[in-house]
Amino acid sequence: MSEMIRAEHLTYEYVRTVEEEKGSRSETVLALNDVTLTIPKGAFVAVLGHNGSGKSTFAKEINALLKPTKGVLWVDGMDTSDDELLWEIRQSAGMVFQNPDNQIVATVVEEDVAFGPENLGVEPEEIRRRVDQALETVGMTAFRKDTPSKLSGGQKQRIAIAGVLAMEPECIVLDEPTAMLDPMGRKDVIETIHRLNKEKGITIVLITHYMEETVDADWMVIIDDGKVAMEGTPREVFSQVEKVKGFGLDVPQATELAYRLRQMGLAVPKDILTTEEMVGALCQLQSTM
Amino acid sequence: MSITINHVTHIYNPGTAMAKTALDDVSMEFHDGEFIGLIGHTGSGKSTLIQHLNALLKPTSGEILLNGENIHQDKKRLKEIRQRVGLVFQYPEHQLFEMTVYQDVAYGPTNLGLSEEEIDRRVREVLEVVGMGEETYEKSPFELSGGQKRRVAIAGILAMQPEVLVLDEPTAGLDPKGRDEILDAVQEMHRRLGLLVVLVSHSMEDVARLADRIFVMHQGKVAFSGTPKEVFSHAKELEQIGLAAPQVSYILEGLRQKGFSLPKDIYTIEEAAKAISDCLQGTKK
Ligand SMILES: Nc1ncnc2c1ncn2[C@@H]1O[C@H](COP(=O)(O)OP(=O)(O)OP(=O)(O)O)[C@@H](O)[C@H]1O
Ligand SMILES: Nc1ncnc2c1ncn2[C@@H]1O[C@H](COP(=O)(O)OP(=O)(O)OP(=O)(O)O)[C@@H](O)[C@H]1O
Ligand SMILES: [Mg+2]
Ligand SMILES: [Mg+2]
Repeated sequence: MSEMIRAEHLTYEYVRTVEEEKGSRSETVLALNDVTLTIPKGAFVAVLGHNGSGKSTFAKEINALLKPTKGVLWVDGMDTSDDELLWEIRQSAGMVFQNPDNQIVATVVEEDVAFGPENLGVEPEEIRRRVDQALETVGMTAFRKDTPSKLSGGQKQRIAIAGVLAMEPECIVLDEPTAMLDPMGRKDVIETIHRLNKEKGITIVLITHYMEETVDADWMVIIDDGKVAMEGTPREVFSQVEKVKGFGLDVPQATELAYRLRQMGLAVPKDILTTEEMVGALCQLQSTM
Repeated sequence: MSITINHVTHIYNPGTAMAKTALDDVSMEFHDGEFIGLIGHTGSGKSTLIQHLNALLKPTSGEILLNGENIHQDKKRLKEIRQRVGLVFQYPEHQLFEMTVYQDVAYGPTNLGLSEEEIDRRVREVLEVVGMGEETYEKSPFELSGGQKRRVAIAGILAMQPEVLVLDEPTAGLDPKGRDEILDAVQEMHRRLGLLVVLVSHSMEDVARLADRIFVMHQGKVAFSGTPKEVFSHAKELEQIGLAAPQVSYILEGLRQKGFSLPKDIYTIEEAAKAISDCLQGTKK
């Protein structure tokens, strides 16, 4: 089985009842509209899209918090609409949500991180090791005896990530895990998930609004109004600056600078993603001038 | 309106085993009509500090002055102070509670006792400012996406027409277009109405572009302050305390090391593009 996630015609509709004087009627929001895509095991995939495009809905589908209205979603070969597989699916695909507050369960940081593995019935010694390692990875070791509710927003976010790391799932879906972090914290987390991906082969699905965080991904998916609007390597996608911006998104800073320089008449390549590439390209350009 | 923060110390749970000094003798001065950027690592005390500005938190010691007056002098004025100093919380969506988007935004102006037409005018104006179209007015805030909730929460504060606008990481979780729209709207209100704006942000790029002056917090103290150019000239020190300089400055630094002659104090994309182009066109001649 080399597919971690496979969606076929995945469709999800939120339904709500609206109370009106004349009675009630139901209203639907089509959050995912016929999504077909495959994420291979061991891949690092970034998912981008404007606010309300359906990214979190997709994440909740992977975690079987939502069931497809139409179509099918398999997580490690398991059909997410099968209730019997619920816990296996959730253990296989760990989730870090947008808001860390909703994920924190214990009153002491290290107990919170231990909560997941404890529920899985992991040996106490192994739990100890995983908790220590997870806290170290997110740079929160010094806070292990503290109360999560008293931590700042960014600190809580790191604890939530540590909690999922401690479950050592096959796949981790992160829904804007760095939204509340400072620049170094952001870098730490992104480096951490890349390391988990490379060293442990954990499949990563990263939802983010920070374009910079996606440049080292293997693959990128842009969702627009519930549909897959664009797919490709970050280089392929970001080289189409205007198209990407048309989806309410942006490009990395180095790509943006290259774009502006090209508009100013300089022959800078289109597909620049990083600081190093930008510096290299300009050195080369200078030598030809 | 001007704000003076005078030797403010804030200790959470004082006198207990859980005591935590979140602010340690902080002094700052924000002038009328300024755009202030407040940056610092997670847990450095930014949210604690700004909750003092509209009297949600009381200093353990020290004082906060609005136009020279201590805000805790007269308890009866707290409501007025909270209206004049509008605070958008770090997770503003936690404060959404009304039945519909429209009602949620109308809540503040309604409490001010404004006429229905005025309320309607304001609600529509601010919802447009934050990019929420009419089709969303009757939705429940709870069925919005994360970024949409954020926009509604910001609109709710803007509808109160405060004299000071304090925003705690308002763009976290917004898509790039939404981020630009909100920040443009804030900048526009700042320019047009001369609002004092205090922006807490983890985006060095946004702060570099928008702020007149920046205060850098580190472990409850002020580590640096000054114009963006002054503050970001300390790239190494900023990195040591969890921050960074705006990304484009690393590109320029890389180029300088390769012998390009480029000015040192460039922190925005616009300036960088111009400087690089000037430098290379110069080479051509
Ligand atoms: N519980 C709900 N009930 C009804 N509609 C919902 C619900 N949650 C989300 N929606 C709607 O579904 C659509 C997709 O929302 P979703 O949360 O998946 O977006 P997103 O891409 O994660 O956005 P963001 O970047 O803001 O987090 C939006 O139009 C939203 O308003
Ligand atoms: N209600 C509270 N009780 C006890 N300690 C608290 C409380 N709120 C915050 N703290 C602590 O005070 C310090 C400052 O927190 P604050 O929320 O002001 O930081 P911040 O700079 O806003 O961080 P972030 O960038 O993560 O939002 C942190 O160490 C935090 O753990
Ligand atoms: Mg979302
Ligand atoms: Mg904060």
